[in-house]
Amino acid sequence: MTRRGAVPRLLQAALAAPGATCYRHCDRPIRTRGVRSRLPGVWQVRACPSGVVSVTSYMEWTRRDPTEEVRRQLRRWTVPSSLVRGRDLRLATRHGPELGRAAERMLAANRPKRPIRVVYWRVYPFRARDGSERRLFACFRRAHRSLVFFAAPPTTQANACPVCHRRSSTAGD
Amino acid sequence: MPPAPHAPHPRRLTVVLAQWCPHCVPLSVRHGRRLARTLGVPLRILDIDRRAQEKLADRLVRDHGDSSPDYLIPQVFLEWSDGEVQHLLTGFSERVPRTDRAWRDLFASDWLKATQGAAGR
Repeated sequence: MTRRGAVPRLLQAALAAPGATCYRHCDRPIRTRGVRSRLPGVWQVRACPSGVVSVTSYMEWTRRDPTEEVRRQLRRWTVPSSLVRGRDLRLATRHGPELGRAAERMLAANRPKRPIRVVYWRVYPFRARDGSERRLFACFRRAHRSLVFFAAPPTTQANACPVCHRRSSTAGD
Repeated sequence: MPPAPHAPHPRRLTVVLAQWCPHCVPLSVRHGRRLARTLGVPLRILDIDRRAQEKLADRLVRDHGDSSPDYLIPQVFLEWSDGEVQHLLTGFSERVPRTDRAWRDLFASDWLKATQGAAGR
């Protein structure tokens, strides 16, 4: 028994997009990491080894548009939450024929018919108030309960995660 | 059993795109041309950076496609003789080769075989 909206492994595989390197940052290979949440679908964060995020996606097997729930969840993970803007969230519907024969047949056989909805969160490099460039980073350290998204200069070497930083400052008091 | 004489058939293929988007040009223009030829229908390109076409594109995406404030491109639609507009494909935000694979899978799909049958009626 799976949760309603969960995406079976066969469909996850059909939606996979392996490869790619970090664009305009370090040219190193991008790694895809899964993240858990209370939502039934699958989260994937595509980031380089330094933590610069290329794109974050959420996929769910559903007829409804999950964008609003995705936005709320992303805001819980992001410091500050105002980094999550509606214009950076984009919906894509995958019907089946564009996912390969096995996925097409699986989706076609299901009743009532449901597509896969994917919400992408892509934050393009932007300028801070002082004019310096900022990129979106993700911190997966276990020091906090869930991942943390934050913005930092692209040249950031050490981990600049504000939550890790706050905890280490508190511990040092 | 012979097909119903008034069974719906494909009428037009539309690709919503932008010239600067590598998922769109030349990739989706090339595949769009091929798909339109396969189905025996005209291809319509709607460029979101040309004002008159942008309005049509926005309406098509809002009513039948994947609508977001800054929606993904390309988006591909098939219009049918009974007025139905079918959303077929939205580009994959991850990588251009992934969008290419989606087009290739569409060409190999059961859906295309069935739709070619409808187009031939």
